[in-house]
Amino acid sequence: MAGKSTNPNFMNGVPELLILRLLQQQEMYGYEIVQAIRSQSNEVITVGEGVVYPVLHALEREKALKSRRKTINGRSRVYYSMTRSGSRRLAGLCSDWTNLAEAIHTMLTGAEHIEAV
Amino acid sequence: MKPFDEVRESLLRAGVAPRHVRRFIGELQDHFADLTAEERHRGRSREDAQSAALSRLGRPDVLAKALLGQRHFQSWCGRAPGVAFGVMPLAALGAIYLIACSVLWFGWRVFLPGTETPFIPVNGFAAIYFGAGRFLYYAAPILVGWSVGLIAARQRSTARWPILAFAFAAFLGSVAQVHADGPVFASGAGSISMSLNLGDPFSSLRHSCILFAIAALPYLAWLVHKAYAASATSGREVD
Repeated sequence: MAGKSTNPNFMNGVPELLILRLLQQQEMYGYEIVQAIRSQSNEVITVGEGVVYPVLHALEREKALKSRRKTINGRSRVYYSMTRSGSRRLAGLCSDWTNLAEAIHTMLTGAEHIEAV
Repeated sequence: MKPFDEVRESLLRAGVAPRHVRRFIGELQDHFADLTAEERHRGRSREDAQSAALSRLGRPDVLAKALLGQRHFQSWCGRAPGVAFGVMPLAALGAIYLIACSVLWFGWRVFLPGTETPFIPVNGFAAIYFGAGRFLYYAAPILVGWSVGLIAARQRSTARWPILAFAFAAFLGSVAQVHADGPVFASGAGSISMSLNLGDPFSSLRHSCILFAIAALPYLAWLVHKAYAASATSGREVD
């Protein structure tokens, strides 16, 4: 795996969030999803590329995603797309992560304020 | 050894359902091909590109762990081997016996109306019909055993479970008996029943051993083949 790895304790729920966010825009296959995560996070978030599939399969099992096999340029691949249930799940995850990020930001800026005083 | 054989084997041995393993490995292979092409595009040799692709996908234990962490991908054989290799074969054996008895009862009514027993010589289509039913009855423990062996091999189950199932099916096959009771009234139909009767213990034991050997043979052959292949692979790696 290229680059530095992200602390796994802070990654709980992140792969689902990122995958759902990417698939909200268009259907993609596994390799595309991993490359998109790498490029759109400026390689800050890196995951073992093969680990994405169990997450995709679990999301599909929970009806957040659906898949279909499609052949393009002679290559057959499994494409994933988001369902309505997946949209609801994405909204919930986004809300949770926004609240968490704001709380952490508040704590960090609060700490700076205390230091300044 | 292919790149993902280790992942496949560890997932199957851990009880993950073969269909989930097949799908996961298929997608890993597709991903591996894409990564190899990407690395080749950067000017790497084929060997270097494949090595880099495998490294980017993740170590086999990490890949296996990612799927093993999700219990709903487990098969029945992994989750409840007692049910898969105890209850299910028993139910299958019962179902086949029920079909065989139904064939016998129906044939008795159609081909031998008014006779005291269906166990009499017949000719023509009736002989074929009763022969098929008889085959089903006698082959039931073997068919169940072969099915158990196939499932156990596909799912890399611990050998003790299928062997217990073979023994169980062979024992039931050796003590099961079919009875036909003639009609109470001349115009009525007779009845077919089954019982478990040990009879002569030596004869039953011999019958059990024969059934066990036939039922277990394909699975045991597969085990030997697997062990031979594994030793050949490890021998090549040492060389």
